[in-house]
Amino acid sequence: MFTSSHIIRCVATISAAMLVVACSPIESGPAQPSTGDNRPAREGGTLRVALSAEPDKLDPTLARTLVGRTVFNAICEKLYDVDSKLQIVPQLAASQPEFSTDGLTITIKVRSGIKFADGTALDAAAVKTSLDRHRTLPGSARTSELTSVDSVTVTDASTISIKMKTPFAPLTAVLADRAGMIMSPAALTAQGENFATSPVCVGPFKFSSRVAQDRIEVVKDPQYYDAKKVHLDGLTYKIIADATTRFNNLRSGDVEVLDAVAPTDVGALKAESSLRLISSDSLGYQGITINLGNVDGVGKAPKPLAAPYAGPLAADKRVRQAFEMSLDRAAINQVVFRGEYTPACGPISPASPFSSETAQACPKHDPNAAKALLQQAGMAIPVKVSMIIGNTSDARRLGEAVQAQLKEGGFDLELQPVEFAASLTQTDAGKYQAFQIGWSGRVDPDGNIANFVRTNGSQNVCGYSNAEVDGWLDQARRNPDVATRRELYGKVITKLHDDVPLIYLYRQKNFTGVSSKIVGVQVFGDGLVRLGTAGFAA
Amino acid sequence: MGRYVLRRMLESAVTLILATIVVFLGIRALPGDPARTLAGEESDPATLAAIRQTYGLDQPLPVQYVRYVQKAATGDLGRSPRTGLPVAETIGHALPVTLQLAAFAITIAILIGIGAGVIAAVRRRRPAEWGANAVALLGLSVPNFWFGQMVILSLAIAYPLLPASGFVSIFENPVESFRHLLMPAVVLGSGLAAIIMRQTRSAMLDALLADYVRTARAKGLGGAQVVFGHALRNSLIVVITIVGLQLGALISGAVVTEQLFVLPGFGKLTIDAVFTRDYPMIQGVVLVTATAYILINLAVDLLYSVIDPRIRVGGAAL
Repeated sequence: MFTSSHIIRCVATISAAMLVVACSPIESGPAQPSTGDNRPAREGGTLRVALSAEPDKLDPTLARTLVGRTVFNAICEKLYDVDSKLQIVPQLAASQPEFSTDGLTITIKVRSGIKFADGTALDAAAVKTSLDRHRTLPGSARTSELTSVDSVTVTDASTISIKMKTPFAPLTAVLADRAGMIMSPAALTAQGENFATSPVCVGPFKFSSRVAQDRIEVVKDPQYYDAKKVHLDGLTYKIIADATTRFNNLRSGDVEVLDAVAPTDVGALKAESSLRLISSDSLGYQGITINLGNVDGVGKAPKPLAAPYAGPLAADKRVRQAFEMSLDRAAINQVVFRGEYTPACGPISPASPFSSETAQACPKHDPNAAKALLQQAGMAIPVKVSMIIGNTSDARRLGEAVQAQLKEGGFDLELQPVEFAASLTQTDAGKYQAFQIGWSGRVDPDGNIANFVRTNGSQNVCGYSNAEVDGWLDQARRNPDVATRRELYGKVITKLHDDVPLIYLYRQKNFTGVSSKIVGVQVFGDGLVRLGTAGFAA
Repeated sequence: MGRYVLRRMLESAVTLILATIVVFLGIRALPGDPARTLAGEESDPATLAAIRQTYGLDQPLPVQYVRYVQKAATGDLGRSPRTGLPVAETIGHALPVTLQLAAFAITIAILIGIGAGVIAAVRRRRPAEWGANAVALLGLSVPNFWFGQMVILSLAIAYPLLPASGFVSIFENPVESFRHLLMPAVVLGSGLAAIIMRQTRSAMLDALLADYVRTARAKGLGGAQVVFGHALRNSLIVVITIVGLQLGALISGAVVTEQLFVLPGFGKLTIDAVFTRDYPMIQGVVLVTATAYILINLAVDLLYSVIDPRIRVGGAAL
């Protein structure tokens, strides 16, 4: 029975939830990778995890969604993984890969005594089967990641040798993602093209069932080599697309872990004593891509743009520099994201071992200097430009903030909201002047830079081409030495700041909401929620 | 009756074919390349070409349509290129969720709507009618997403009496099913309850002034017998028509309710399929929806004759 005090409390709760909650900003700069606390976990229980989107095929060869990687993290281990400092460490491999002096042969030792979830043994032959499938299966999403691999041979029962077409230092990082996931050859043979409906790999958990749009269930794998460290009986991933609904489910106790907390909910989450926030800097970025010469479509040779996509931005780099100088990244972060994200000026996360002072250099915000630069370039102020943005409320708020700041710098920005799938098609075809888009980020900086700015790169939507940049990127690919690569990426970023094909704006944070009943949840810079050692607090 | 049903079935088949063509062409006219959406972040021209080839998207539209119809005729609705799961199986999981939700919502809407409508008509110009009208106005005016948020905040978070999300089949665990569906059904049924209430009230007011009701009263029948046995029975014709017409709106409205309460139903499936340009899923969903609409319309027409024996299908009146 509800008493009047209950009703008042209820109304007050609703009112409080409807109010905008002020949030204290999170410190920017290199993130401290977050882990769970040190309380002991009791054995048993099924953890419910809210995912922000539906994963696509649960087949490491065919999977393409970011959210799918979180599920794979529980059921499909890789040759390599990253640790809390984003250093690459062996997982199913026994040690770091050995590169030949010319970089064309890579030897990988595989751990022994490991079994797949179906009880069959993991050995070098199984690794070769998976790597060959990743490279050659029609429709494989891994083909482009392994394009530099020429062949894989089994040297002995626990060693493989990878022959490269060209030296490719980022290969270790590639093998620390889906391309390094090893599937059971027996299951591949038995299930053929339907492997995704019942995937079998090595992991703390094994696949149990999936109901499209609803849930994915995995259960503890007793065959797992580290099964003693696994406390939970299983995990249920619930797909909850709407951020508010997701957060409400965490608050009501219908889920215990929430992937991708919206920045607008961070303040409210911090205020709840029964919840905990885990945050880490993302490896990706959000920014503005400018069309410089994408006429015939992405990946094709750049050409001079024609109307209506040609304009002052493409014509003169001083206009692009003025565009960038007009933007106050800190203010954007504060106004649009309540200070919860981190301003970014380049493609490499400060948390990355490849980061440097040069890589983090930031063009100064100075609208007056921007106007002066436009006048110097002979532009009539205001300079009219258009920008495609997403049609979500977040995208519109960001677009409007950018629009207001550009006005101070002498620009008249027209915002063109377009649905996400349509915007990708439109910008791939080069039908745009500027485009607000981001990238989820990879451990190796090559994955965050090369495809986007290298001449004819597969994601070079801006149609940028610079021989020096191409040269530095190629050198970095050939050289496994971190210090040398760091310096080369520094040069690339300095040049990009001068040419401005992309304007990096901010770096999202990986916000994970966790019930205080749960211990052992880990989230590193790669944003994956690691639940292998999680459990209910004893 | 038999001829009428047969004629309606033939008309329905034509409608169904036209619906599949319109949707087949409509989704392909949407801006946005399904191959690009499937490719995700890591797209390059070779990958896109491979995806188009794998799913037959590189074939001319008539070829794609004929292939789809050929498979659909044998009950094979294909596989979702996104999840790799069979479309028919996915719809098979989603449909019972929406049907249970819709049935529950309609039950609630009918109970509240007819009850409030009768009270409003019988207690005309009294506080009971004003109260019923106020509730109806609220039901019509308050958007589902807001009402849903409010009931979640109050009954799942402030007072955790009911689960905020999820679905349990009535055949698995009726009590848990009721608990999981109560909030979404109330939210979904609120608008329909208001419409039913207004229509019932209006029809009842007409009926209570009709000659046959006066005759019934003159024969000495009690108030309840007159209201429920005569006036309400005649008023139900209007109510059934409204429920039939609103059923479509109810299922469309279920999209928001399903998102809000994380119910893996048909509406959620449809929306997600459209946003991910999952052509086989959209086509499968439309085929099932069109079939359902046609069957519901037919059922409503046939129900008229059950409620009111003066209406006979197949006769001169039709």
